Amino acid sequence: MNDFAIETKQLTKIYGAQTAVSTVNLHVRKGRIYGLLGRNGAGKTTIMKMILGLTSITSGEINVFGRNIKGQEKQVYPRIGAIIETPGFYPNLTGTENLEIFAKLRGTAAPNAVENAMEVVGLPYRDKKLFGKYSLGMKQRLGIANAILHDPELLILDEPTNGLDPIGIAEMREFIRHLSVERGKTILISSHILSEIYLLADDIGIIDHGVLLEESSMSELKKKNGRYVQLQVSDVSKATLILEREFHTNDYSVQDDHTLRLYDTALHMGEINKALVMQDVTVISSALCNDTLEDYFKSITGGEGIA
Amino acid sequence: MLRLIQTEFLKLRRRKILCLMLLASLIMPLFALLYFNYMGGTGVDPARFYKWSAFSYTPFIILPVVLGVLCAMLMFEENQHDMLKQLWIVPISKMGYFFSKFFVVLIYAISFMLITGVASVVLSMLCASVAFDWGSVLYLLQKCLEIGVLTAFAMLPILAIAASQKGYVLPICITLVYAFLGFSLMTINMYLHPLSSISVIIMRNEDIPGVIPTQAINVPLAFFCICGWGIASVVFANISLARRR
Repeated sequence: MNDFAIETKQLTKIYGAQTAVSTVNLHVRKGRIYGLLGRNGAGKTTIMKMILGLTSITSGEINVFGRNIKGQEKQVYPRIGAIIETPGFYPNLTGTENLEIFAKLRGTAAPNAVENAMEVVGLPYRDKKLFGKYSLGMKQRLGIANAILHDPELLILDEPTNGLDPIGIAEMREFIRHLSVERGKTILISSHILSEIYLLADDIGIIDHGVLLEESSMSELKKKNGRYVQLQVSDVSKATLILEREFHTNDYSVQDDHTLRLYDTALHMGEINKALVMQDVTVISSALCNDTLEDYFKSITGGEGIA
Repeated sequence: MLRLIQTEFLKLRRRKILCLMLLASLIMPLFALLYFNYMGGTGVDPARFYKWSAFSYTPFIILPVVLGVLCAMLMFEENQHDMLKQLWIVPISKMGYFFSKFFVVLIYAISFMLITGVASVVLSMLCASVAFDWGSVLYLLQKCLEIGVLTAFAMLPILAIAASQKGYVLPICITLVYAFLGFSLMTINMYLHPLSSISVIIMRNEDIPGVIPTQAINVPLAFFCICGWGIASVVFANISLARRR
């Protein structure tokens, strides 16, 4: 039984001489929110477009709901709702009329599907306002309404909070969380805003220059980036021996010959320093550190930050 | 397919330009009214009036140009508002999408020609010099229907070009060239261009007064020309839509 809603294998996209996506192995687990984090132009949208068949695959494979998507589009796509970039609709029609078109095209059986979708995103049903007169936030909401119109199992949302005000962003976050927790939807969401992914995702993939640099659960990542004591000592191997023998902890990592990180911050620092000095280990510095996800992002992408 | 066609018509709500373009169907009937009023006389054969109002520049120039603009508009709308990707992930088939647009063009062409026909009848009744004859009216409506249906098929190349382009300027420019080429090729070879082939089918009985074909009438060859261009257009549209994703 495959636990992945989406699985890519060595997924690659090359435009001319430029590699937009390079051998990406993505694993989106069912019922979870997967945040694809990366700077603008990192390859997030290209990956989503390849999953949705909006751009061809140079090499590799995409499995959705356990089956290779190639040749299975008609069976698979009705189970997906998506927003890619800014959603476009017919400007001469109202929001309701636009959704009615998509409901008809999808053969949506539920008679009140359009009304429900509009209600969920907080847009008025049967309003006379034309789409051409919608604000960016309203357009984005209508895009979400269109994506959930047919009650899909999987949602692919490319930067869904673009253009929303802070309250709208918070509401959208709550809404996405609700879809995942209450309705069991699998959600693949991309963003270049680190805090968005941090607050929303269960699993995270960090992509940079088309390469998936890291993929892990958010809890693992938070653990990696929690509080720790950074010790600079004259002899790391001797220091670790003292930590294990006298303080009964192995919750540390060695950074280099003179630096180690102690994650068990409950230990008394004064006692540790004393023990190290007593056994001829010079303590050059000791500091309580608190790495953020941004620091981590910088470290794995080679120093450049993100919004 | 039926759903696609239904949604195509839903998309056209509040598009006033489409109604305005239909007014072009009145140009030649009004011109014919002025012409026959100016000429005077009594008991003029209504077929002569209809030749001016419905069988002259309307099928050769006005209708193809209007349909070409319509084709460009239908395809441009979704490009302009970046809607195609939303349609592809529904998913809808590329050919279903193309043929649903064609169906709109077909209905529009038939409506256009029926308005021309009705306007011709009404205006011929207003013209004192033209006699009224039910037989001629039925003949006119039949020919208008034929012209509407055949011209829609003859516009498939323009619809295919519009499907391959993101803008509307090139399809409209090509429409103008296409329409005038069809008109001018009539004297050289009527079986090269779909629009001139339509005229062969329309005047197959040589019963339009004052119109004498320059070449022998060969209806199957005219259909072959229209079908050949049509099939090539569909293949071209399929390839270009698949490439555009």
